[in-house]
Amino acid sequence: MFASSDVVVAARLPAQVALHARPAGQFVKLASSFPCSVEVAANGKRANAKSILQVLGLGATGGTELELSASGERAAEAVEQLAALIAALVE
Amino acid sequence: MDLNEKYVGVVLVSHSSEIAGGLARLVGQIAGPHVAVRVAGGMPDGSLGTDGGEVLDILRAAADENGSGAVVLMDLGSSVLAVRAALGELTPQELTRIEVADAPFVEGAVAAGVTASTGADLETVAAAAREARDVCKL
Repeated sequence: MFASSDVVVAARLPAQVALHARPAGQFVKLASSFPCSVEVAANGKRANAKSILQVLGLGATGGTELELSASGERAAEAVEQLAALIAALVE
Repeated sequence: MDLNEKYVGVVLVSHSSEIAGGLARLVGQIAGPHVAVRVAGGMPDGSLGTDGGEVLDILRAAADENGSGAVVLMDLGSSVLAVRAALGELTPQELTRIEVADAPFVEGAVAAGVTASTGADLETVAAAAREARDVCKL
C-alpha cells in the first residue's frame, strides 16, 4: 500500500469558468479537508492548493489545464476529488 | 455569541463603514456562511474615522469565551491605533482569543475567512492572513 506516494493528475477548467474568487474558495476548502499536501500548477506557476491567495495568483482562466499533485495521507483521494470539482465548476 | 462559535471569526476595522461592510460581504461570499465577520468602520455620525468604543465592543464580542477567537485586520492609520488601544483594555483571557494580523486588508481578510471556514484554529487563520503580505497578484 503506497498511502503516502505522490499523485499527479491533470484537470481542465470548464471553458467558461476562471479560477476566480468563489470557485477558488470552493477548491481551497476541499483541498484543506485532506491531511496530505496538495499543490496546483498552471501557467508556469505553482500554488499551495490550501492557500486561496496563491490559487488566485495562478490567474487560471476558463479552459486552462491545471496540474494537481498531492503527497501524503489520502493523496490519491484528494487529487481525484479536486479534479472532479474542477471539471464540474459552473459560473 | 451565535451559531458560528466553532469557527474562528474575522474582525474588520476600517475608516469607512462602506469599506468594512463591502469587505465583509466579499469574505462572506467566498468563505461561506459559517464564519462570523464583525465590522467596525466610520464614526457614529457617518463620517470617516474609527470609533474606539465600537472597536473595543467588537473585540470583546469576538473574544467571547464561548467562541474560537478571531483574527483582526485593519485598513490603516487610526484603525491600527484604535485596535492597539482596545487591546490594552482586554483581559489576558480575552487576549488569548484575539490575533491581530499585520496584513493587506482585503487579501488578508479573504485568506483568513477561507481558512477559518475549513475549521482551522486561530493560529492557522492568522498565519493565512499574514501570508497575504507575500503573495503576488500577477
